[in-house]
Amino acid sequence: MTTAIVTGASRGIGRAAAIEMSNNPEVDNIVLIARDEVKLSETIGLLNPRVRARAIVYDFSSQEGIPSMVKEIYDEFGSIDWLLNIAGYTDPKSLLDTTLDSMEITYKINVFSLVEMTKECVKYMKQNEQSKILNVASTAGMTPRPGWLSYASSKSAVISISETLAQELSEYNILVYCISPGRAATDLRKKLAPEEDPTTIMQPAHVAKVIGNLMRMSEHCLDGQNMVVRKQVK
Amino acid sequence: MISLVLLSSGSGSRMENSVPKQYLSLGGKPIIIHTLERLAKVKEISEVVICCTEEYMEHIARLIKNHCPQLNYKLVKGGKTRQESTWNGIQVCENGSVMIHEAARPFVKINEFERLALEESENAIYGVEIPFTVLKGNGQIDETLDREELVNVQLPQKFNRDKLLDAFEQAHANNKKFTEDASLFFEYYPNDAVKILEGTVHNMKITYPIDLVIGETIYREYVLGSETN
Ligand SMILES: NC(=O)c1ccc[n+]([C@@H]2O[C@H](COP(=O)([O-])OP(=O)(O)OC[C@H]3O[C@@H](n4cnc5c(N)ncnc54)[C@H](OP(=O)(O)O)[C@@H]3O)[C@@H](O)[C@H]2O)c1
Repeated sequence: MTTAIVTGASRGIGRAAAIEMSNNPEVDNIVLIARDEVKLSETIGLLNPRVRARAIVYDFSSQEGIPSMVKEIYDEFGSIDWLLNIAGYTDPKSLLDTTLDSMEITYKINVFSLVEMTKECVKYMKQNEQSKILNVASTAGMTPRPGWLSYASSKSAVISISETLAQELSEYNILVYCISPGRAATDLRKKLAPEEDPTTIMQPAHVAKVIGNLMRMSEHCLDGQNMVVRKQVK
Repeated sequence: MISLVLLSSGSGSRMENSVPKQYLSLGGKPIIIHTLERLAKVKEISEVVICCTEEYMEHIARLIKNHCPQLNYKLVKGGKTRQESTWNGIQVCENGSVMIHEAARPFVKINEFERLALEESENAIYGVEIPFTVLKGNGQIDETLDREELVNVQLPQKFNRDKLLDAFEQAHANNKKFTEDASLFFEYYPNDAVKILEGTVHNMKITYPIDLVIGETIYREYVLGSETN
């Protein structure tokens, strides 16, 4: 039995990744997490019906409820095998317009919730023969742009966290993957580049395909490395 | 079922650090946790009795809650010497068979606990050969020793609990001091065979600061395997 948790599954890359997971015969159960209940149900409607799916409405602006949520998932499905940390948030602003509140909410969603989700899941993953964690960082974490202070730095943190945990968790055979997508046509990208034509750039399904391939593999050779997923500009 | 006494009351005075060595970090987590996490997975061991100073009881309980909450354990106050600590520990063991291990040996593998547990002889220890020469002397050589006849004694070890307890009581009554438990047991039960299983050189004890440096390499190469670096 393989149970996969996908955060940020109501839209964009997270939704596409959930669909991709549902087409993987290894996966039996999928748990989708985000705030928008209606959109989560829409995602469930798009999944391959062979999987058992459950949607959980949770707001990652706070972390207090994460331990009990993860425990409930474990109690319901009997194991937690894969965790895909995809939920993300951005509020692009120049330094002088950036408030610590905006910085804090970005870090809470992109970093603190990712750490707390990982920590709670690892408690159960340690009982498995093998488990996998996939974190979605961003090329912004390596090559930031002016005005992306909070977002880019939070994504740098995700890259570093993934590298640390790949080493720290290898004793338990928990593989930690980190991908950094370039621009992909989603609501989040619209916020970062409102003028861009979304049809010309990478689509969420492209990123999801890469995620799907990574999760299918069980070799150790790509864990702990920040992998860039980018469509070349023609 | 077997009880395991984990000795963790050492002060780490040789470590040049105010924190006892078993609570220092190795491979990113406290040294004592390496052993406890593995013990939580050994089916044959039903309880772990941890002998530690009172000062560290809360700390250990918190570490166990974070790293291996499923572990069935008790905390017992350690004594002034290693011998007293072991004695305190075995007194509260529930099972007729008891293993002894020390927190400063973090590279013991799950299968070493299992092999010892399944060993037919009720008393058994791990040992490795001595690759160097040991002489008897104090300032000058008094006697040569044949290293072929010597064993570098390791932990974990396993004993019949009632006999071991009796041996400790006799040692206490005679005011005899031992630095290690198999020697103490042998002194009072010379006719009870104590089998020596072949240990590994990796199962070293962290004693000096340099051992932490060596230990990081052992952890990476031996515990995690050569594919991780
Ligand atoms: N699109 C890109 O160009 C690009 C490039 C690199 C990296 N990424 C990363 O890819 C990941 C997915 O983003 P996306 O591009 O697919 O954006 P998206 O379409 O805007 O999706 C963001 C997802 O995160 C969830 N989320 C946001 N805030 C949340 C909160 N407070 N609590 C719970 N869930 C929350 C959203 O769900 P609800 O709104 O329903 O809560 C949604 O499912 C993010 O980590 C993003 O940083 C995107």
